[in-house]
Amino acid sequence: MTLHALTQQTMQPQAEPEDLQGQTLSALIDGELSDDMAQRSIKQLGQSAGERARIAEYLAIGDALRGLNAQPSDFTRRVMAALENEPVVLAPVPKASNRRPALWLAAATMAAITWGLWQSGPRDDVNVPLAALQQPASQSVEAQPYLAAHQDFAQAVISAPEMHFSKASLEVRQ
Amino acid sequence: MSDREIDLQLVERVRQGDQRAFGILVEKYQRKLIRLLSRMVRDQHEIEDIAQEAFIKAYRALPQFRGDAAFYTWLYRIAVNTAKNYLSSRGRAMQTVSDQAMNDDDEPDERLVAQEIGNPETELLSKQVAIAINQAVDDLPEELRQAITLREIEGLSYEEIAETMACPIGTVRSRIFRAREAISAKLRPILGTPEDRRW
Repeated sequence: MTLHALTQQTMQPQAEPEDLQGQTLSALIDGELSDDMAQRSIKQLGQSAGERARIAEYLAIGDALRGLNAQPSDFTRRVMAALENEPVVLAPVPKASNRRPALWLAAATMAAITWGLWQSGPRDDVNVPLAALQQPASQSVEAQPYLAAHQDFAQAVISAPEMHFSKASLEVRQ
Repeated sequence: MSDREIDLQLVERVRQGDQRAFGILVEKYQRKLIRLLSRMVRDQHEIEDIAQEAFIKAYRALPQFRGDAAFYTWLYRIAVNTAKNYLSSRGRAMQTVSDQAMNDDDEPDERLVAQEIGNPETELLSKQVAIAINQAVDDLPEELRQAITLREIEGLSYEEIAETMACPIGTVRSRIFRAREAISAKLRPILGTPEDRRW
């Protein structure tokens, strides 16, 4: 083993599993985890009171060092108790957590755009599947919710990289 | 994942029905919010009541939150409006103009904070905790103290800290974690928390 490797090993001692978990939480509040790990950690927080308590301590330490009041209080407990009487917030949103859309999503978007072009009028230069051309006008009513749903996904793809948290809309645009 | 993105993730978790994720946001921003509200309202109990109401209003309004602004900016605006309504319903004016607490980018300006106004008991405990935390930091080994200070006070990223301290990012992560654990352990006797419990 080279001196460099030995130094590296010394500087990064193998942590116990519980310490690795603590390190992960510590890195989470610093915004230093990868997206996948952060999402997993955040999801786990909902299931572990111990981890939430640990996060609360780390946050309080940081606030105290920055001059904020770190006196423990039951403020959070009171807020959460008040929220117990509130309806649970549920907002259906399209899953747009990845900045690059999956291949199927891109294909669906292209299909929606092609369908929209076909709907706007016959065009010789549009390569539309024969099955779509043969669909009678009455089926366009059934297809409209499908088209509208994928228009929403198309909006998410075309729009800015930030995640959008507006409610998913299934309005049929005329 | 950045701090702002973490907040967005937590908001998304709440929208999926995980109320506890909102508790983390409360824990994260309560002290900051209370400190800024203290600029507008004098009474400590009223400040906490307003802060609590602001968080509840924010929870109810989460379906409308689009993530265009940072979560804390959005929350702060809710809190300012809550404070105004609270005081006007009692026939009182704000202690200071809340706009002064916003900088040119319409973000809450952390430098414009007032002295906290509380009762002697809470102020004493706050001071004791603050002194204890700073003492605990002073007692840390040099490399841990430097890491936690660069992170919490200077606001450097792990990469920047690694560069400053000439060590790998993994070492930075470990040192900051160990510093936090050491400080927590020192505070437990002062707060009367059992050794196997968190605050």
